[in-house]
Amino acid sequence: MLKQPLMMTFYIVLLMVLAPVHTSAEELKVGEGQSIQAAINMAEKGDTIIISPGVYKENIEINKEVKLIGEDGSVIDGSGKGNVITVTASNVTIESLTIQHSGDGQENSGIYIKKANAVVLKSNQINNVHFGIFIANSSKNQILQNTITSYEAHFSKRGNGIHLFKGGEHLVEGNEIADVQDGIYFDFTKSNYITDNHIFQSRYGMHFMYSDEIEARKNRLDHNVTGFMVMDSARISLIENKVNDHFHFRGYGILTYEAKNVLVERNEILRNSTGLSLEYAVDTKINGNLIAANQIGLEFMGKNEKNTFTENNFIGNVVQTKISGNAMRLDDGEKGNYWDDYGSFDLSGDGIGEEAYKAGSLYDRLLRKQPYWQFFFESPSIKLWTKAESLFPSFGSANVYDARPLVEPAVILQEDSQQRKSPFIPLAAGAFFIVISLFVIVKGRKMS
Amino acid sequence: MIKKLGIVLLLLASLTGCQNSSMEPEEINPEIDVCEVCNMGIAHEHFATEVVTADGEVYKFDDIGCMEEFLEKESELEGKEEAKKYVRDVDSGEWVELHKAYHAFHPDFWTPMANGVVSFKDQESADRYVKEQGMGDVLDYEALKKHEWSWGQ
Repeated sequence: MLKQPLMMTFYIVLLMVLAPVHTSAEELKVGEGQSIQAAINMAEKGDTIIISPGVYKENIEINKEVKLIGEDGSVIDGSGKGNVITVTASNVTIESLTIQHSGDGQENSGIYIKKANAVVLKSNQINNVHFGIFIANSSKNQILQNTITSYEAHFSKRGNGIHLFKGGEHLVEGNEIADVQDGIYFDFTKSNYITDNHIFQSRYGMHFMYSDEIEARKNRLDHNVTGFMVMDSARISLIENKVNDHFHFRGYGILTYEAKNVLVERNEILRNSTGLSLEYAVDTKINGNLIAANQIGLEFMGKNEKNTFTENNFIGNVVQTKISGNAMRLDDGEKGNYWDDYGSFDLSGDGIGEEAYKAGSLYDRLLRKQPYWQFFFESPSIKLWTKAESLFPSFGSANVYDARPLVEPAVILQEDSQQRKSPFIPLAAGAFFIVISLFVIVKGRKMS
Repeated sequence: MIKKLGIVLLLLASLTGCQNSSMEPEEINPEIDVCEVCNMGIAHEHFATEVVTADGEVYKFDDIGCMEEFLEKESELEGKEEAKKYVRDVDSGEWVELHKAYHAFHPDFWTPMANGVVSFKDQESADRYVKEQGMGDVLDYEALKKHEWSWGQ
């Protein structure tokens, strides 16, 4: 009889030791003048810390699973040293905060995540920092709807907007990144999904280095030096992005260098110094892109192998193609591309021209060796030369051609441009104007 | 008018005349300069390297690895008379001739092309860097020659 209550107390003590009393997540509030770090130190796993409006001059480290949520006007200021926020625990959430003024040392960041998974960064404003968000050796983090800018300086002195170092499986969605070095830098990282971001006024929009299996879909990159810089990486998919206005003297819409298995599909590549450039590319698939109004539409350098081009529209580029490299075919045997400077006809009516479209000219090869000869661009002698070359194809430039050129631009379906407006409104408006003009004509006649 | 043109031409001639005859390195302009090998803009200026040839040609690289790759292809530039090769002390940005420089190497050291070789003007600085980072080896010119580059594998 005596034994049972004893056992009971033993169990109760055991329970208390094993499961801390802290049962449900609590909400803590930090007001101006108080320390956020102190609140984090006090908080238990799973707590939410609400930050009232005000400027908090602190460098914070989050080393346990908490939620940090800013009310409108809450600012964390790193006073120009180190990282503003360092996260070393998994499952942390940081939301609706303004984060500013990090140090300018090598990896100093607005938010630095180190070996932490499933962290959510949402709707934060990150300004005046070296790097915006730096994620090292972590996985499955979500970076959603943040706004990131660096400080006033030349891009060589700034850090990147989002830097993903090793790790992977991150989701980066809906962020706006401007005035940084590289918008998103993929550094030995794997399996990331990047969508709906807008990156502008930086050096490279997205910079892939030694990375693998990354999909970038529906992003907008504009007014950077280069849009997509894909280097030494594999299995990179660039789908339905808008890559526009990269007018820098050495700017490209998309440049791939020593990359394998790159898919470039249904992108809009408009008004760049060079639209798309491949160097040492293997197994690149380039389908259904609109490549228009660039200085140079398509450029090949060095050795490129096993690449396929189908149903791309090359329209209104000042120089359609610039080729210095090995021979290559620009169609998949069935369908080629639409080239607006194609001069032959479709006699059989299958939508495909009977004569091959030949890309590049001997002049391109000379340019590679003598860049200054660009001076003679469009000069009568070069024109004559190009014409002579097309008549005597054995002249010796690399044989890059499209044997199945389309005579009409390919129809490129982008999901968002698919929705058709009903033709009723323009029809009604048209009818209305016709009635009015008829009325005026008839009435005018009667009057005179 | 003709006179003015003459002056301009003279000026141009004198400008081109005082070209790099001493084979000195040229300052990097991060806005314009790109690597000769990999096309990447040279934003991390202290990692830049240069090959300056006797006939005044300057080749710029964003990473010492790209320079080595270039020199392997352009083997006629190997000798000291044909071209001088420069790296920069990563701390100060000072230009140092390749054969006088020391380097720290570890695959995890960050460099623009991830070659992991960071250059210094003297052995002390390289030693200090390896000590600070807690990893890596110091390479002198001879050791660097034997180094296996990631692009070579």
